Amino acid sequence: MTTIESTTGPGTDPQPPVLAARAFDAVKVYGTGDTEVRALDGVTCGFERARFTAIMGPSGSGKSTLMHCVAGLDSLTSGSVFLGDTDLTTLRERELTELRRDRIGFVFQAFNLVPTLTAAENISLPMDLAGRKPDSAWMDEVVRTVGLADRLGHRPSELSGGQQQRVAVARALASQPEIIFADEPTGNLDSRSGAEILGFMRRAVDELGQTIVMVTHDPVAAGYADRALFLADGRIVDEMAAPNAERVLDRMKRFGD
Amino acid sequence: MLTATLRSLAAHKARLAMTGLAVVLGVALMSGTLVLTDTVGRTFDNLFSNVYAGTDAVVRSTEVVKSPFGQDQRAPIPADTLASVIATPGVAEAEPTVTGFAQIITPSGEPVGDPTGGAPSFGANWGLVTGLNPFTIAEGEPPTGPDDVVVDRASATKGGFGIGDTVTLLTAQAPRPFTVRGLATFGDSDSPAGASVSLVTLDVASELFAVPGTVNEIGVVATGGTSEDEVVAALSARLPAGIEAVTAAQRTAEDQSALGQALGFFNSFLLVFAVIALVVGAFIIYNTFSIVLAQRTRELALLRAVGATRRQVTLSVLTEALAVGVLASLVGLGIGAVTSIGLRSLLGAAGIDIPSTSIVVSPTTAAIAIGVGTMITLAAAVFPALRASRVPPIAALRTVAVEPKPPVIRIVVGIGILGLGVLNLVGGLTQGGDTALFGVGGGALLIFIGVAVLGPAFARPAVRLLAWPLPRLRGITGTLARENAARNPRRTSTTAAALMIGVALVGFIAIFAASAKASIDQIIDESFTGDLIIDSGQFVAGGVSTDLAASVKTAPGVAASTGVRFLTANLDLPESSAPAGPASNAAFILAADTTALVDITDPQPTAGRVSDLGLNEVAVASSVAESAGLAVGDTVPAQFPTGERTLSVVGTFDNRALLGDWVVDLATADAAAVDRLDVQVWVKVADGASVTVVQEELKVLAAPWPTADVLDLSEFKASQAEQFDQILNLVYALLGLAVIIALVGIANTLALSVYERTREIGLMRAVGMERRQVRAVVRWESVVIAVFGTLLGLVIGLFFGWVMVLALSSQGLGVLSVPVPTLVVVMVLAGLAGVVAALLPARRAGRLDVLTAIGSE
Ligand SMILES: Nc1ncnc2c1ncn2[C@@H]1O[C@H](COP(=O)(O)OP(=O)(O)OP(=O)(O)O)[C@@H](O)[C@H]1O
Ligand SMILES: [Mg+2]
Repeated sequence: MTTIESTTGPGTDPQPPVLAARAFDAVKVYGTGDTEVRALDGVTCGFERARFTAIMGPSGSGKSTLMHCVAGLDSLTSGSVFLGDTDLTTLRERELTELRRDRIGFVFQAFNLVPTLTAAENISLPMDLAGRKPDSAWMDEVVRTVGLADRLGHRPSELSGGQQQRVAVARALASQPEIIFADEPTGNLDSRSGAEILGFMRRAVDELGQTIVMVTHDPVAAGYADRALFLADGRIVDEMAAPNAERVLDRMKRFGD
Repeated sequence: MLTATLRSLAAHKARLAMTGLAVVLGVALMSGTLVLTDTVGRTFDNLFSNVYAGTDAVVRSTEVVKSPFGQDQRAPIPADTLASVIATPGVAEAEPTVTGFAQIITPSGEPVGDPTGGAPSFGANWGLVTGLNPFTIAEGEPPTGPDDVVVDRASATKGGFGIGDTVTLLTAQAPRPFTVRGLATFGDSDSPAGASVSLVTLDVASELFAVPGTVNEIGVVATGGTSEDEVVAALSARLPAGIEAVTAAQRTAEDQSALGQALGFFNSFLLVFAVIALVVGAFIIYNTFSIVLAQRTRELALLRAVGATRRQVTLSVLTEALAVGVLASLVGLGIGAVTSIGLRSLLGAAGIDIPSTSIVVSPTTAAIAIGVGTMITLAAAVFPALRASRVPPIAALRTVAVEPKPPVIRIVVGIGILGLGVLNLVGGLTQGGDTALFGVGGGALLIFIGVAVLGPAFARPAVRLLAWPLPRLRGITGTLARENAARNPRRTSTTAAALMIGVALVGFIAIFAASAKASIDQIIDESFTGDLIIDSGQFVAGGVSTDLAASVKTAPGVAASTGVRFLTANLDLPESSAPAGPASNAAFILAADTTALVDITDPQPTAGRVSDLGLNEVAVASSVAESAGLAVGDTVPAQFPTGERTLSVVGTFDNRALLGDWVVDLATADAAAVDRLDVQVWVKVADGASVTVVQEELKVLAAPWPTADVLDLSEFKASQAEQFDQILNLVYALLGLAVIIALVGIANTLALSVYERTREIGLMRAVGMERRQVRAVVRWESVVIAVFGTLLGLVIGLFFGWVMVLALSSQGLGVLSVPVPTLVVVMVLAGLAGVVAALLPARRAGRLDVLTAIGSE
């Protein structure tokens, strides 16, 4: 098992890189007794601001669980999770909801959009829920970036899978959240559409300074990230700076051993 | 396949419970009504056979005058018939009965019972022959002197008086004080079916109730060893023409069937509402099955893909419906049996009081309740079942079931059904007669179905239009609610249609009542030129004695006045008018002082004269004259309770709304009727005299008749309106059931929609929708559906009201009045009801766990 670097311990470094979110000794246990599953088994990690982090690992390793817990969708059994300076474990359900709405963006693998709302309405949904007026210049920019200008009035059923994911990315970017979580955002797409989506996310990080955390199985997708974290059996087992597809594939193969 | 059905039944218990509830409520009202009939029937069968146990035969007139309201009057017989009855071999004892209207006034001056409605009040002679007297003294003694009275124990309890107290009896004679000597029971019961009864000596009864020298009937006890049939045969041989003898058994059967008829009317009235409730229930079952099967499209397609035949799919759905139907009907029957106790008090308000006994559920009732409930459930599930069987195996591979656009054929069929409904409705209303009710009811049903069939075609734009302010008012939750309501037009419109039915009927009744009130007001304003009306509060049986009208006539300040009575007669018309029921030639005749009448009203004469009618002269409403083929100069043979008379037509008039079909003078009424009771007294105040002053004077004159109210015209209108309102409230309460069932339907639809949209709700929660916002979306969707259904209902109700007024304008319903405030209240209530219906589904939606919701299939 690889040692975890000092960037992951809270407050241990006198000048730590700015962390958008971090988990400390995060444990998540499902079930009890014989059926007990330790989905997270003491994960400590941090996600740097304005960086693109990929989380990788075999199926069942706890990737989604980690993401859900850091994103305030699920609660830990023990340990703590911070978004900026906010300790998520102290928040009540309603505060968590507001936190997700105002400070986090999501892109899921599928069913990202509300079928009754148009693309434009889906994009502004979090802000509408908050009763905030979207910043229209920013909206225009986001829409232009993801190339949806001519599809805004369409409903999800009138959009292709790739277009739907672009709308989802646009929604995540639109409210300028502190961090965007994406769980296998390209899992359902062909490689061309997938590359498009990943390209947008990369540009969002480079040009807009957005923080993105992406769970993926795809080494090619991980290649778009600045850093890759590897999970196995609920623990962080490795990490890789500036990953590329080949190296990631190599590392993944070793999980089989 | 059966296993698959049973699994799916078990897996959706909550949904089935909701669906079942729609059936349960309708079946409960229906079986409650039937159980009540069973119970009451049994109770009275026992009661009658007990009280007539000692009687062997009854001697009475063969002449019966039918009343348009079903209360037949049998002619009296000469009192001296008694002598020949007693002289008949085989007769041991015989005694006459003399009965008539008698209202008890308590020592504190209050009438016993409810004189305007409720059970009847009558008086009779106390029977001295024990076997013939249905009453038994429970306390005190029988009446012996001219001032003695025995009353039923229930009246004494209600009126709060007892033996030794002085009560006043209001009869066709002047009010008269009596001393209460005893309290009687009728069989085991404190009162015969809730009626209040005053029992006096034969002499007093003859004086108060009878045409001098007559009695109503004679009861006979046979000598030992003589059978009922033998004594009847012996009597029949001796009795003159026009008088018959019947066995006590026959008489009992007649009493039972008369009561059965009265009950039957009440029954049909309640059953109409049970049917309405069941129709609404059918809509909900149809809708639930449609939604659930659409949601299970993939599962069904999979079944088809692995080899299930269409037939098997259809059968599995129908099996599920059968199970729901049978279970729900059984529960409904159980609840109905309990409900029957509550309905009993309704029956009390309608004039029949039932001694409390145990509940009787006959096998027929059980069979009908379970049969109807199950059949309706099955019938409602047939279309969804067929649709489900058409799911192609390939649908297993499609992700979402998309509701297809309504085909043109739906619109054509919908408009066809709607048109047929309107034709039926209009036909039923204009033709009248026995089939009218079926025409109207069937027409209304077809209109509902037609709108429901058309619904999906216009629901989406209609709902969007209706809900346009929502996004503005409620932001994104408003938008979501509006779009959710619009996304499954079929679902939304069927759900709304269920509510539409109840609301349409409520709206129609409200409009009808408002129009009736407005019409009464108009009739009084335009054609009643008098100033005061003394209202006895009674109508068919009862009233005030002529003494009141006589003293009013000579009161200072009174320019003209007349007592107003109603006579029943059977007329022999040249052309039978509209095809009415068995009492088609039974007529209601208004009798008044026709000299004064023209000063107090405007009869709008069209030919001959309406004023100064002589004995046996009659004036006819012109429309009646036309349909009966009568003209001035013709004669009409008329059968009255006192015998036949030939009436000659001397005039026709247009004001049918105020005066009815036929008008005779009091002279004719005095000669033709058994008793002289004025239902109202109409008064015109002299020029220059103050109406209020005269009203106060007349109140003093009317004081001995506490049941009579001296009203000025606005008070009279208000009191008429009040009577309407009482019936209205009962009808609203019964229609409320249909509305409640529809609300259950809305809740059910929403629950199914929430279930279907689990993932979507999870997504919205993930990106930051708060629980209260989730609830608000469901709630507003519910409000939109409820308001949509209500609007549809009100439009249809308005149409019904309009058609009704058109059809009845010749009978005095001339004004279409739309009670806007009431309808606005209905609208607001519907919105609130939508909120209530959404409570549970919204709670469930709000509680969905975000992660499981996102992950759910
Ligand atoms: N709700 C739950 N109840 C019980 N066990 C669960 C639950 N959710 C996840 N698990 C278990 O926790 C472990 C980690 O699951 P998780 O979904 O995080 O894996 P993953 O890395 O995202 O896998 P995949 O790549 O297949 O999506 C698995 O063993 C899974 O079976
Ligand atoms: Mg996962």
